[in-house]
Amino acid sequence: MYTSIPKGLTDLTLAIEKGTNAVISNKYNPFYYHGALPQFYLWVLFLSGLLLFAYYIPTIDNAYFSANLVNAWTSVDYITDKLPMGAVIRGIHRYAGDAMVITIVLHALRVWVTDRYRQYRWIQWVSGIVLLLMVLFIGQTGYYLVWDERSLVLTRMTVSAFDAIPWIGPGLKAWFLNGTAITNLTLSNFLFIHIGLSFSLLFGLWVHYVRMTRPVITPPPAINYMLMAALLVVVFAYPITSGKMADINTAPTSFDIDWFFLFPYWLMAKVDLTTYWVLMVGATVGLCLVPLPSLYKAANPIEAAEVVLSKCTGCSLCSKDCPYQAIEMVPAPAGSRFKLLATVKPYRCSGCGVCVGACAFDAIDLPNLLDTDVTAQIRAMAEAKPN
Amino acid sequence: MSEQKVITLICERACDLDSVCNDKGEVKEVDGLHVVKLPCSGMIQPLMIEAAMKAGAAGVIVTGCQIGDCYYREGNRMIRERLLGQRPPGLKKTVDRQRVLALWLSRPQKDRFLSEAKEFVAFVRQLPTPPPAAAKPAAK
Repeated sequence: MYTSIPKGLTDLTLAIEKGTNAVISNKYNPFYYHGALPQFYLWVLFLSGLLLFAYYIPTIDNAYFSANLVNAWTSVDYITDKLPMGAVIRGIHRYAGDAMVITIVLHALRVWVTDRYRQYRWIQWVSGIVLLLMVLFIGQTGYYLVWDERSLVLTRMTVSAFDAIPWIGPGLKAWFLNGTAITNLTLSNFLFIHIGLSFSLLFGLWVHYVRMTRPVITPPPAINYMLMAALLVVVFAYPITSGKMADINTAPTSFDIDWFFLFPYWLMAKVDLTTYWVLMVGATVGLCLVPLPSLYKAANPIEAAEVVLSKCTGCSLCSKDCPYQAIEMVPAPAGSRFKLLATVKPYRCSGCGVCVGACAFDAIDLPNLLDTDVTAQIRAMAEAKPN
Repeated sequence: MSEQKVITLICERACDLDSVCNDKGEVKEVDGLHVVKLPCSGMIQPLMIEAAMKAGAAGVIVTGCQIGDCYYREGNRMIRERLLGQRPPGLKKTVDRQRVLALWLSRPQKDRFLSEAKEFVAFVRQLPTPPPAAAKPAAK
């Protein structure tokens, strides 16, 4: 049962979902696709990013102001002002990123509220934290790429933050700047990080999904249209504008903050760098430790399902229905009448009993709740005389 | 035959019947309505429903969480598909489909369960009792 989560919170979530079901039916309830929503925005970001990439020029040249100055800022300016629909694509790329962070946080919250983050699911939780960090960092590099005054401040703040780390700090700084100072190479490095890390998200997502049978990664088209419409409303209501072009010889100090991506910089401005890193690393490790067994008490410890070797016919129905890929079909031992035999991987098993329901031969059992006992109980109840 | 039993097979995370059941798993308000709790409605075997009917139950209520929301991801959807015959193993053809009720209710929906269950219990009890021999053809 949901023992470690406040009961009212779970009931509230269930009530909200019930209300949503009443309005738009279970099939289109976005609460049931909460994990697929950021995935949808990821595809939107990939596509819009591809279009922006075609016109983006990763250089910082501004040695002299001329009419034909070509650098990152002017190329972004060109995309926004000159290209047909350029401002829309740029807006989509920016706001889809914000939307992705929002949907990821909602996804994590729902997973936590409904108690679906621990035991056999710890890999999903921890990989989810790593993915969120990657998304945040990718988003921040996106802010550097525009190369307005905010980008310059952010770059300098990041450099000083990296510099404050003992041992690996100077190396990180050199990696980040792609040299010792901000040059054209720095921006090409930012572009590489922005795009390269985005593709690494796919690897992270593979880890995120690896123990899921039939992961829900695509919302129904109707929800996709709604998500896209919501995005476009924001794009047209709040068009994106760049700040002033960055001039490396100036030292701008203030900037507008995007709370979805740039909150670490707000923190960085408030506290000294040691405290900043302690807080950031502490928060990350703390989040990763949320599924630690000593932090919750399970009503029933999980006991993995067990196959009754003499009864299994190797029909593989349980293996197909297992929601956690915990049942593997292996060749049956020599002398068996059947070709295959089901085997349970105990560390993946959630003890849900879906395999018991899938078996027509009573050949798989939960050790703490045998299906023969359940059937006997049902029989006894049905046959009992009224008292 | 008003005392015929009705068996409820229910997921322990679906609607919470603890407060309305006595310690033997019988709903206090409805005479002869028994509750069997399982970790997930996906664990319900069609064989269990058949066993209940064979043992003389008037009907079976299958209850899981709201479709789309399953703690174990897909359990309620699977038993629904099994009941509808879209996923093996399914219910035998000899099971009277009128006597099986599926409800998909979240934890706070106890009252909805009670009202639906009362109606269903009254309905299955007034159905003509199938004589145990009815399954066999009377003549060639």
